[in-house]
Amino acid sequence: MASDLSSQSPSSDEEEEESAGQKPKTAVNANSIDNSLDAIENQLSSISFNTPIDERTAPSDDHHHESESLSETAMNSIGESSSSRRSGLWTSNLEVEVEAEVDGGLASPSSSGYAGERGSSGSVTSGSGIDVVREVRDNGSSMGDDGAVVLDSSEAQWIRGKRHADEDDASVSWRKRKKHFFVLSHSGKPIYSRYGDEHKLAGFSATLQAIISFVENGGDRVKLVRAGKHQVVFLVKGPIYLVCISCTEEPYESLRGQLELLYGQMILILTRSVDRCFEKNPKFDMTPLLGGTDAVFSSLIHSFSLNPATFLHAYTCLPLAYATRQAAGAVLQDVADTGVVFAILMCKDKVVSLVGLQKASLHPDDMFLLANFVMSSESFRTSESFSPICLPRYNPMAFLYAYVHYLDVDTYLILLTASSQAFFHLKECRIRIETVLSKSNVLNEVQRSMSEGVLRIDHLPVDPSARSGSLFHLNQRRPSETVTGIGGPAGLLHFIYRSIYLDQYISSEFASPISGRQQQKRLYRAYQRLYASMHDKGVGPHKTQFRRDENYVLLCWVTQDFELYAAFDPLADKATAIRICNRVCQWVKDVENEIFLLGASPFSW
Amino acid sequence: MENYAELVNYIFVASNTSIAAELKFIDFLVILCAHWVADRSAGRIGGLNPVNGDSDAKNLRVKLVLLGDSGVGKTCIVLRFVRGQFDPTSKVTVGASFLSQTIALQDSTTVKFEIWDTAGQERYAALAPLYYRGAAVAVIAYDITNPDSFHKAQHWVKELQKHGSPDIVLALVGNKADLQEKREVSVQDGIDYAEKNGMFFIETSAKTADNINQLFEEIAKRLPRPPPS
Ligand SMILES: Nc1nc2c(ncn2[C@@H]2O[C@H](COP(=O)(O)OP(=O)(O)OP(=O)(O)O)[C@@H](O)[C@H]2O)c(=O)[nH]1
Ligand SMILES: [Mg+2]
Repeated sequence: MASDLSSQSPSSDEEEEESAGQKPKTAVNANSIDNSLDAIENQLSSISFNTPIDERTAPSDDHHHESESLSETAMNSIGESSSSRRSGLWTSNLEVEVEAEVDGGLASPSSSGYAGERGSSGSVTSGSGIDVVREVRDNGSSMGDDGAVVLDSSEAQWIRGKRHADEDDASVSWRKRKKHFFVLSHSGKPIYSRYGDEHKLAGFSATLQAIISFVENGGDRVKLVRAGKHQVVFLVKGPIYLVCISCTEEPYESLRGQLELLYGQMILILTRSVDRCFEKNPKFDMTPLLGGTDAVFSSLIHSFSLNPATFLHAYTCLPLAYATRQAAGAVLQDVADTGVVFAILMCKDKVVSLVGLQKASLHPDDMFLLANFVMSSESFRTSESFSPICLPRYNPMAFLYAYVHYLDVDTYLILLTASSQAFFHLKECRIRIETVLSKSNVLNEVQRSMSEGVLRIDHLPVDPSARSGSLFHLNQRRPSETVTGIGGPAGLLHFIYRSIYLDQYISSEFASPISGRQQQKRLYRAYQRLYASMHDKGVGPHKTQFRRDENYVLLCWVTQDFELYAAFDPLADKATAIRICNRVCQWVKDVENEIFLLGASPFSW
Repeated sequence: MENYAELVNYIFVASNTSIAAELKFIDFLVILCAHWVADRSAGRIGGLNPVNGDSDAKNLRVKLVLLGDSGVGKTCIVLRFVRGQFDPTSKVTVGASFLSQTIALQDSTTVKFEIWDTAGQERYAALAPLYYRGAAVAVIAYDITNPDSFHKAQHWVKELQKHGSPDIVLALVGNKADLQEKREVSVQDGIDYAEKNGMFFIETSAKTADNINQLFEEIAKRLPRPPPS
């Protein structure tokens, strides 16, 4: 296990602002969109498969082998081996992974457009939905005139900012961006682009659409295309296609998860009833419906590298004395009893308390998307608001109504109801809640916890006799400490503990040397890779993973109840690190009623 | 449309009717709103109208709704009126915001405006009935530098004439009057259209505060008064 991870070089990275260097190019000639399908077809017909065709019809052993190669390590090795194969006319590599559409245990009759082109219509029987991975080489240099996707290693740089809406796919700056996100309709109309103006990217969009449709028409689904250092990840949601083009070396699973969240954010704003607009009019232009939401999406994409909730699929609570959280929970519960579906009190992205009506349960992803929507929509800070929103995991087809009010700079209350008429009732509820919270000093405690950052690794009790059931005495004893703490014992730098049962995680405050944004981002990316490899279905359940590279020693421990991700100084000793991890877990248990929201409310997720 | 399940159910029903053949997203929302209206007229009380208990001849409480294209300055007008502030950074309204402000008139009566500042973004257009239903006043704003917003304002006027309260006071506001050099809608066009539709007309600037208080004072004067008891 250890060797699995240590063999991977940490991404060289990660500043998305910086130029991606001399990446193989995926340039697009958008001039002949009409012909692009044909062109892509022609192009694909000239592709030679590295993987023998028979492999796709091979017995399940081989499928198992292939699905394993989806794991991150194996993907890397594919990348390496294909670059080593590069020679002569082959100017770049294009790898395509196609997910066989499994329907009733049988894939579609013609398993893929590619297969058809190769004169094989062998169907893939993969009852368990095993991914078929195929590797494809592309002679990119000769395709330029076809209006097809051209891959050529000479230029190819993705990328820089939505802030530069004047960019399009012809701009060098646009190609230099490290990570692109696109949303388009099945007819190829652009819906959203992280960078550049959607309308100027119409040609590019049409090309992406052609690729997806081409494969889909063959009954398959494109999941991933590799082009040199770039991964192109696809997600198809009915009439809406989402695409991520990245050279950040994040695992496929992570990027796909990010596309899922991007789609969820869109649904939160519009509901899935937009699908119907496409049924009635395939050329429907969705962009006007997303007017004024750029900040929501850029903040979402930003949090992909700065908020672990995006890959842990769990939410986090602000550490608070038990009585304080209880007080908040009690007044929210009163309100929920009057017909509010969810009452949520948050400070930035952290939950103070949360109460749901009867059996209603709030998925952590919904909570994350809702908080992102509220925090990135400045108008909520100005005055109390009442707005329709949809919780995609709760019900993607319907709107709920959100009453949103900021109680102070960082702390806000969201009351969700199914009734469009409930504003004045919710306003009264809010006034009652606000009164109780300020009387019981909850808002001050929240502010204090936020600014002091109580879960600090330098407070980790080293000596078992020093154990205390509370984080808050500790803090009072050391009032003079600054917010940026020092490292923990035995080179412990940081940890995240995820409670599986509670769907919550807690992370320690950042301490030096992980105090800057870039270091934090790099650490989260490392955790993200760990998470992906620990959750890789193809490889089977892992228990622990120990990985050392030039930045850290990373330790991951997964049990039925929790997952622990810890980072240590690169020189840390393995045995000591394991001992410290045990202590961290003990500590988390000791103070769990201050860092988690425990079963006070009737959740059932 | 109180009930969550009902809402969901309604969406599914809408999708199967022939009326839905040309159903666009917006139409879909309009249907939802029509449903709410029906819901309301079926005798539900409350809704987005505050309980009108303490309104009397001396102290009026008035529901006012602001409508108009995104970016014309509705929120800036309200914030200038309510808080005396102008923040030039754009903060697109989500759904609708609620604010209130009381003014004293010369005849020693007071008027408390309970203001729904609605979002001008297209996706919220069909939700407008939720906010203008039962409103005593609708202020329809456009940006004098943007003819499209003037046309949009005329759409709102028509919709309110059709679906607003029969005795609703309508005001047409040409905002951003400080941007004279960029003007594309003449004062006369505003006056003419307002006159034809029996509306009160004024040009304002939320930036300079020009005519903002006048707008609300003039509205207050035009309100139907309850007979003194
Ligand atoms: N020069 C000038 N600019 C203004 C004036 N009023 C508003 N603005 C600017 O217009 C922009 C939009 O104003 P908002 O008040 O947010 O527009 P809105 O009508 O509320 O827009 P939505 O909430 O999207 O419906 C802001 O950036 C303001 O700075 C004005 O009187 N003069
Ligand atoms: Mg506004």
